[in-house]
Amino acid sequence: MKLAPQSVPYRALQKVSGIVVILFFVVNNNPGWGFAVAIGVAGAVVLAAIGYEVAYYRRFDYELTDDTLDISSGVISRREREIPYRRIQNVDVSRSVIQRAIGVAAVDLETAGGSSTEGSIRFVTPGEATRLQREVQRRKSTGSRTEAHGEGADRAGSEVDVGTGSGADAVGPDEEELFAISPGELALVGALSFDGRLIGLLIFLSSGSVPVLSGFIPDASAVALTATAIVGVGGLFLVSWILGAGVAFSNYYGFRLSRAGDELRYERGLFRRYSGSIPTEKVQSLRIADNPAKRALGYASLSIETAGYAPGQGSEQESQAAVPIATTDRVYRLAREVESFGDPRFNRPPKRIRWRYAFRYTIIVGLLVAVAFGIDWYLGAGAPWYAPAALLLAVPPAAHLKWKHRGYWLGEDHLLTRNGFWSRTVTVVPYYRIQNVIDTRTVFQRRWDVATIVADTAGSSSIAGNDAAAVDFATEEAVDLRETLRERLRVAVVEHRERRDRFEWFEGGADVSGKDGDSTNDGDASTSGVDDGNSPDDRGESDDGRTEVPDDGVIRPDFSGSDRDYSEPAERIDTGEYAVDRNPSDMGGNERDENDDEGGADNPSDDTNDSER
Amino acid sequence: MTTQTLHPRVQVVWVLRAVLIAAVLTAPFAGAVYFDRLPEWAPIAAGAIFLTLGVGHALLRYRRWSYEIREDALYLDRGVVTEVRTTVPLVRIQHVDSRRGPVERGVGLASCVVYTAGSRGADVRIPGLTADGASDLREELKRLAIRADGEDAV
Repeated sequence: MKLAPQSVPYRALQKVSGIVVILFFVVNNNPGWGFAVAIGVAGAVVLAAIGYEVAYYRRFDYELTDDTLDISSGVISRREREIPYRRIQNVDVSRSVIQRAIGVAAVDLETAGGSSTEGSIRFVTPGEATRLQREVQRRKSTGSRTEAHGEGADRAGSEVDVGTGSGADAVGPDEEELFAISPGELALVGALSFDGRLIGLLIFLSSGSVPVLSGFIPDASAVALTATAIVGVGGLFLVSWILGAGVAFSNYYGFRLSRAGDELRYERGLFRRYSGSIPTEKVQSLRIADNPAKRALGYASLSIETAGYAPGQGSEQESQAAVPIATTDRVYRLAREVESFGDPRFNRPPKRIRWRYAFRYTIIVGLLVAVAFGIDWYLGAGAPWYAPAALLLAVPPAAHLKWKHRGYWLGEDHLLTRNGFWSRTVTVVPYYRIQNVIDTRTVFQRRWDVATIVADTAGSSSIAGNDAAAVDFATEEAVDLRETLRERLRVAVVEHRERRDRFEWFEGGADVSGKDGDSTNDGDASTSGVDDGNSPDDRGESDDGRTEVPDDGVIRPDFSGSDRDYSEPAERIDTGEYAVDRNPSDMGGNERDENDDEGGADNPSDDTNDSER
Repeated sequence: MTTQTLHPRVQVVWVLRAVLIAAVLTAPFAGAVYFDRLPEWAPIAAGAIFLTLGVGHALLRYRRWSYEIREDALYLDRGVVTEVRTTVPLVRIQHVDSRRGPVERGVGLASCVVYTAGSRGADVRIPGLTADGASDLREELKRLAIRADGEDAV
């Protein structure tokens, strides 16, 4: 399929508008050439860009095949790319104000790994973008269903064709809204957002100009100077705060998170609309963050991590489905909707570790005092350089709070860790998502006989040091935790595999077959027995001998040599893609032929047996 | 498989690296002497300190390093200043490299790199293997990873 035709002029102008303006001024200001030439040059550049974009438009083609999304693109170096639906992590659609005005949208498809967005389709019509988003999701779930049930595949395939034909409306399961930001919450997000970048920029710029400025300073009185400085700093903070609030407001305006079938959908943004979908099976971890102010007011924020966003991308790209703020219980309810962890009760590190933090903070305070002393000595000002020592009073509570907010908890299927006082983060990692477990002990930690355990996942933000880490736990406990995590990962993988491979001939698994194994001889006698009349008696005897009844209360007839569950009709057993019965109902090892003959007579007798009990 | 240690010759590689680093770190001191900012013994003392620390670190590092392939995971135990123990579940192994740098080739050694989809411990390197040992380890890990039959969970 092709891109939207409007994208040609838009892309062209987007690319060269800056160059055109610069060229225009350069040429126009050159006395030799003048206005007409400037117009000509600018026009030529724009025409060239349009020409390129027309070629790009003609070359760009994407197609939804049965199991991959194929994108072929490139004017000078051509590229054909196939992205399997199964590997797509999330699909994001964004539309800026201009894009909305001319009716186009940008679609980004992320897969795990890689340094940039793998599938970038710029630009299609909004309707097509939505259709693409839904189709990818649908085909993905169809694909996984095909793996599980071979039978359903054809039907689903034909449904897909119908869906493709009828367009976007017919697509997708019902949406269930999980979260919608309320005006109050939006206002809070704005109020709590503070953009420090402006201050950083000003400090950076002014740091070079301090010597220049200091030449002007002595003229004014100290009071006026201080007043100006306070007003200036206050104004700066106010402006930063308003900027941050504005950015946050426009980012999270109309934030909405909903669940549709197997995926989470979000949309947000005032000027630039973002919408996207995250398959629930691709969620790597959840992070619930708060700070003292939010805790006091009972608020928290939640972000949903997938492996889709590459670390190199900007912070804006990370975790777009983050709930900026909501009441704590709402956040936890929402988090449990995504990953059903239970009610966490965190284990704290040993209390003695507070001494470690106290020592650490004392050393920091000591360093501050030393620096203050150094400055004082250098300037010879005679100021109270020992003033920072007052911070020592804050050391014990700080150490206690640091300790208090650390912890980990092992849930049924999840590891939860908690760290930090000023920005406290609770990280939820399903055992199944653990990639490796790292146990580190620094020199200082060894002195205190503690260790840090990190459960590494494929999430994107781990680069920024947001791993799920249980910090400063006693070495023995840490080793236990490490081994527990490894074991639970193993169990989780086995469970996933069982769910994936639908070759389950027995519900009970090894247990049931073990019991059958005890009475193998009886079973052999009954099945291979020449006269059918004896077999019920044989059964009766074997039952007397057998005292245990299976957990489900159903005593299954005993056919040795086959682990097939005969209480189920044959056609209900799901063979996945293989249309082969692994153990045909009439196969009992070498007595197959006899059973074939006796089949008619054998089965009724079994039925009577079952009904008798 | 019991706990494995590295080949002793890996110490040569690490000591050489420590010497190189010490030389680089000493260069500014030598420059300062050249411009008469420091007494002559300063670069010698600095060089000796850096060399002792570096070589000591290299030797201790060799003594600390061990790895083990257990039933369902690869264990690595290493680190002098910060001890690091990494558990790589075999089901999570994405691919395995064996590689030989120029210095390693010089002393007839190779290393083996195990990749997972994780972000922090995405690649773990087992240095100090013989060339055959590295490819054997690679094959062994490949076999075990296939047998473990996991999905990458991303």
